[in-house]
Amino acid sequence: MTALIEARGVSKRFRQHKRFPGLLGAFKTLVTAEYTEVTAVSDIGFDIAAGEAVGYLGPNGAGKSTMIKMMTGILVPSAGTLSVLGRTPHQQRMANAHEIGVVFGQRSQLWWDLPVIDSFTLHQRIYDIPQARYAENLKRFSTLLDLTPFLDRAVRQLSLGQRMRAEIVMSLLHDPKILFLDEPTIGLDVVAKDAVRKFLAEINRERGVTIILTTHDLQDIETICPRLIMVDQAKLIFDGELHRLRAALGSARRLTLEFVTDPGPLALTTATLTADEGLRKHYLLEREDVSLVQILGEVGSDRGLKDVALHEPDIEEVIRTFYQRRNAAATVAP
Amino acid sequence: MLHRLGVLALLVRMFVKSQMEYRGAFWLDRVAQILSYGAVLLTIWILLNKFQLLGGWNWPELALLFSFQLLAYSLGASMSFTQLNTLEDLVRMGTLDALLTKPINTWAYLIFSGLNIGYAGHIILAIPVLVWALMAAEVQWSVGSTLFFVGSLLSATMVTGAIITMIGGTALIWVRSNHLFAIFFGFWELTRYPLNIFPTGLQVVMLTIVPLAYISTVPVAVLLGKPVPLLGDFAASVTLLAGPVLVLVAIAHWRYALSRYQGAGG
Repeated sequence: MTALIEARGVSKRFRQHKRFPGLLGAFKTLVTAEYTEVTAVSDIGFDIAAGEAVGYLGPNGAGKSTMIKMMTGILVPSAGTLSVLGRTPHQQRMANAHEIGVVFGQRSQLWWDLPVIDSFTLHQRIYDIPQARYAENLKRFSTLLDLTPFLDRAVRQLSLGQRMRAEIVMSLLHDPKILFLDEPTIGLDVVAKDAVRKFLAEINRERGVTIILTTHDLQDIETICPRLIMVDQAKLIFDGELHRLRAALGSARRLTLEFVTDPGPLALTTATLTADEGLRKHYLLEREDVSLVQILGEVGSDRGLKDVALHEPDIEEVIRTFYQRRNAAATVAP
Repeated sequence: MLHRLGVLALLVRMFVKSQMEYRGAFWLDRVAQILSYGAVLLTIWILLNKFQLLGGWNWPELALLFSFQLLAYSLGASMSFTQLNTLEDLVRMGTLDALLTKPINTWAYLIFSGLNIGYAGHIILAIPVLVWALMAAEVQWSVGSTLFFVGSLLSATMVTGAIITMIGGTALIWVRSNHLFAIFFGFWELTRYPLNIFPTGLQVVMLTIVPLAYISTVPVAVLLGKPVPLLGDFAASVTLLAGPVLVLVAIAHWRYALSRYQGAGG
């Protein structure tokens, strides 16, 4: 299958006026023409096929939004090639606009003082959506995200969660092939987050809408995106399935075994003993292919095993470990 | 094309509907505007009562100048000022990013979604004064002068809109544009008076770099058969051309600014 989105060596550098500290510095800033270059995206490449759901993850300032803005044609890449739906986004921004939907978590596209439905009507007109299609989409999405009770209410009277649901519905009214979401769950409460995630997962599954979302909430990715692209300091550091991240970043699972009576030191071939408290023993599972059944088989049934706890590091932990290691490496390196 | 116009009309309707959410404030604002511009007109009248002439212009002629300027400005600015004055906020808050992802001309969306009906106050004041002044001042009416009057008013409207668009567009590159608007309004206030009362340097500036003389003193002087400094006999054709030419420049500038757009962060 050909890729819907192709990025090859994409970079984006921003030129910023060099600023000098202090009051004198402020004057100096005014009169000098010195610039500093900030690299927001550096040599990033990936392919995204139709129907995929991809989470674009990274800490603040890692260049997530910049990448979204390049893919949607808002910003022009400084280097590399980018193709979305077979077009160069910034050159054919208008043509692409018909086939993509964009949601920005922190900026509303709804008309603040008017009922939600008015913004939807405008959207229908701008995108030239046939009435029947519009009505059908509106009905289906509104039901799924429970929008009907507040469609006639002014946007300014909505809660953040209601507003975000409305934003997402609006972005899908014209049947986009790709939906870009920049931090769609930011600031939402648990219930609203959950509703949004389930809806997006369903849209992706049932309608085949390709989803690309940036987030720093890992739960978003776990629910919606089988594939994860992780960026850090403008560079791509991981691209693959979520469950591979753990292995790729080298975080191991931990296992705790609890016994009725102390069986004494218990070494296993499948796991490494890390702490022994007598009745409770802690192991590290360094190999991904070892299953709990194998381990229990090795322990055997005659040792008075009372309880087993397998601790899968959540992605958050995996990533934290990664950053800690990276920072440690940076301090050691010459 | 028709579909596009329909969208623009809908944008205007939605904007008016938004404004009407705050009906009371809206009308209070209009009254305040009429009073403040009325006060300016009164100042000119008081001045003329004492001195009879200002740069060779009498009271009805200055009233014509004032109302022509106010009308051309309010027509041009309703199509540009409030919308583009807030462009720097749209850039800073990232709202413009969202707009850029829509299949609609960004400038047209901005302009029509904020077509400022607030200028109703200016127009309510300008039209009666203009009608009275056109009758009181000594205008040599003919087919030619009538066409010139309409054409130069149109051109003056375009000059206003084009300059404001260019100033607003700089926000796409520099994020900020308010200081330029401050300069604009500094010059704009001068256009209520005849060009010949200002020193030559200032006249040159207002005919070239900040071509605001074409929104009032040049066309009105031509209409009244008064000499126009520096331009002389070319005044009529230059003032008619100023609008369309500046519109073309503004379009080119807007496109350039959009291509240089960097967003405001992230």
